[in-house]
Amino acid sequence: MFCIKKQKVVAVLVVALVIALILSGCGQKNVKEPQAMASTNEELMTIRVAKQFGLVYAPLMVAEKIDFFSKYGLKVEWVTLGSGGAVREAMASDELDAAFMGIPPYLIGWDKGLPAKIAAGYCVIPVSLVTYDDNINKLEDIKPEHKIAVPSPGSIQHILLSMALEKQLGNPNALDDNLVALPHPDGAQAMLAKKDIVAHFTTPPYLFEELEQPGYKVILDGFDAFGQDFNFNVALVTENYHDNNPKGYAAFVQGLNEAMNWVNENKEKTAELLAPEFNIEKEKLLKYLTAEGVNFTTAPYGLMGFADFMKKAGYISKVPESLSDIAWENILAQVGKREGGPCILENIQWSK
Amino acid sequence: MRDFISKIAFLLVVAIVWELIRLTGRYPELLFPGIGSIARTFWMERADLLDKTLFSLRIIGIGLLMAISLAMLATIISMSGKVFAEIVSNLMAIMHPLPGIAILPVAILWFGIGVRAILFVIVFSALWPLINHFYTGFRSIPVNQLEVGKNLGLVGWELALKVMLPASFPYILSGLRTGWARAWQASVAAELVFGAAGGQGGLGWHLYKKRFMMETPGVFAGMLIIVLIGIAVEYLIFAGIENRTVRKWKTIIN
Repeated sequence: MFCIKKQKVVAVLVVALVIALILSGCGQKNVKEPQAMASTNEELMTIRVAKQFGLVYAPLMVAEKIDFFSKYGLKVEWVTLGSGGAVREAMASDELDAAFMGIPPYLIGWDKGLPAKIAAGYCVIPVSLVTYDDNINKLEDIKPEHKIAVPSPGSIQHILLSMALEKQLGNPNALDDNLVALPHPDGAQAMLAKKDIVAHFTTPPYLFEELEQPGYKVILDGFDAFGQDFNFNVALVTENYHDNNPKGYAAFVQGLNEAMNWVNENKEKTAELLAPEFNIEKEKLLKYLTAEGVNFTTAPYGLMGFADFMKKAGYISKVPESLSDIAWENILAQVGKREGGPCILENIQWSK
Repeated sequence: MRDFISKIAFLLVVAIVWELIRLTGRYPELLFPGIGSIARTFWMERADLLDKTLFSLRIIGIGLLMAISLAMLATIISMSGKVFAEIVSNLMAIMHPLPGIAILPVAILWFGIGVRAILFVIVFSALWPLINHFYTGFRSIPVNQLEVGKNLGLVGWELALKVMLPASFPYILSGLRTGWARAWQASVAAELVFGAAGGQGGLGWHLYKKRFMMETPGVFAGMLIIVLIGIAVEYLIFAGIENRTVRKWKTIIN
C-alpha cells in the first residue's frame, strides 16, 4: 500500500513538472507575438530595453524623459533589472531586446552563446581603482588582508584590474582572494566609512565622490590598464530583434544617437533634468557631466581589446575572429576595413 | 533507507524528463544545459566544489551549534519562570516571521562584509524555530512521566536526562531538522545576495560567481550538490539519529 502511494506521488510530480515546463514554453512564445504584429501593422513598434543607474546612463535617463524615438515610429519600454547578471539572463531568455553592459560581461555572454551583438558604443568614461590607505600607492603594495571592491566577478572593473596585474606583477589572478563583490553604491558607502575595504574599482559619480574626500587617490587608471580609450558600455541588440525588426533596430540606433548628442549639446539642461534623479545638486551634477575624460559618444572604442586577455586568463573559451562576430553592420561600416593595413578606427578597437 | 532510494529514483526520473525536454531543442543550451554538461562540469570542478562545500558546512555547523546553545539557554530560562517565558515568547512572535535574509543589511552594518555577517544571519535564521520546538517539547512532557521519574528517585540532571530529554526528543529532533534547513538556506541566500569576502566563500558564492560568468552548467552543478547534501543529511544523519533514539525508545509510532 505504502509503496503504491509513493509511486503515485512520483508520477504526479513528474506530470506536473512536464506541464509546468510546457506552459512556460508557451508563455515565452506569447511574449514574442505582439512585437511581430506591431512591425507588420506599421503601428508604433516597441523595443524592450534594460535601464540602469549611474552617471554613464544620463543619456538613457534623458531619453526616458524626452522622447527621441517616437518620431522614428519606435516606442521604448524601459525595464529595470537588479544587476548586470540579470540583464544578460533576461536577454538570453528573450525578455529584453536591447541592453547596455560592459564589453567583458558581454564577451562572457557571447562566449556562452548569448544571441546578441553590439549595435553602438556607449560612452567613454573614467574607471579607476581608488584607495584611502596612505601606504598603498601601487598594486604591489596591496597585502592579502586588504579587500578590494569590484561590482561583480567578470565586470569591466574586475577584468581591468586583472589586465593591470598581469602587466605589473605578471599574474592576472594575484589579487583574486582580495576581491569583494559589491554594487557601486554599497562600495562607495564602505569606502567613505573606511570600513571593510581599502580600495574600490569604480565609476562616476561614485568615483568623483570618493576622490573629493581628502586622502583618497587613484592607484590604477582604467585607460592605463587597457592602454587606450574603451567604451565603458556597449549597446546590445538581440539577434531576434535585429533580424525580425530591422526598422525598429534602425530607429533604436538613431534615437540613441540623438539622445547622446542632446546630452553633449545641453549639459546644463541635462544636469537640471537629472539632478532630482541622482539626488544631488544641479551644480555638482554639471561638474560631473563635464569632468575631464567623460565622453558621451556612440562611437566604438576598444571592442576587440579585452578578448585576447580574457581568453588567456581563462574567462572565455574563444575570441571573436573578427569584429563581425560581435558587432552589427552599422558598427562594421563605421570602423571600416582599410586595404593594406588597418586604419585609425580599426586600430582603436584593440588594447595596447 | 527505502525512502532514500525512492528519492534517488525520483531524481533519476527528473533527470530523464529533463534530458527529453532538452532533446526537443526548444530551449538554448544557455538556459537549459544538458545533464551531460552538468555532470562534466561537476566532475571538472570537483576540487573547487568540495572546497566550497566544506566551507559552507563548516560555517553552517558553527552557526547551528551557536543557535542550538542559545536556544537551549533560552528554553531553560523560559522554563524557570513565567515572566521569562512571556519575554521569550514575545520575542519569538516578533522575530520568527522575519526571514533571516532580511536582516542581512543590518548584519553587514554591524559585522562588516565577511564571514561574521553570514554567521549572524545563519544563527538568526535557525534560532527561532529551534527555540519554538525546544520549548514546545519541554512543555509537552507528560506530567505522569515526570511523576514516575520522581517516584523512582530521579532528581536534577538525572531526571532531565532520563525522563525529560527522551520525552521531548521528537520535538527537539524536528527542531534540529528545521534549524538545519533554515541555516542551510540562510548561508546560500546570504552569499547569493552580496557575494563573499575575498577567497572565502561557500556554495552560495559559487552559484553567484557561476551566474556572473554565465556558466549555467556550473550553476546547476552547484545546485545539485546542495540537493545531494540536503538528502544525505536527512537520510544519513537525521534518520540515523531518529532510529537510534525516538524509534528505539518508542516515543513515536513508526
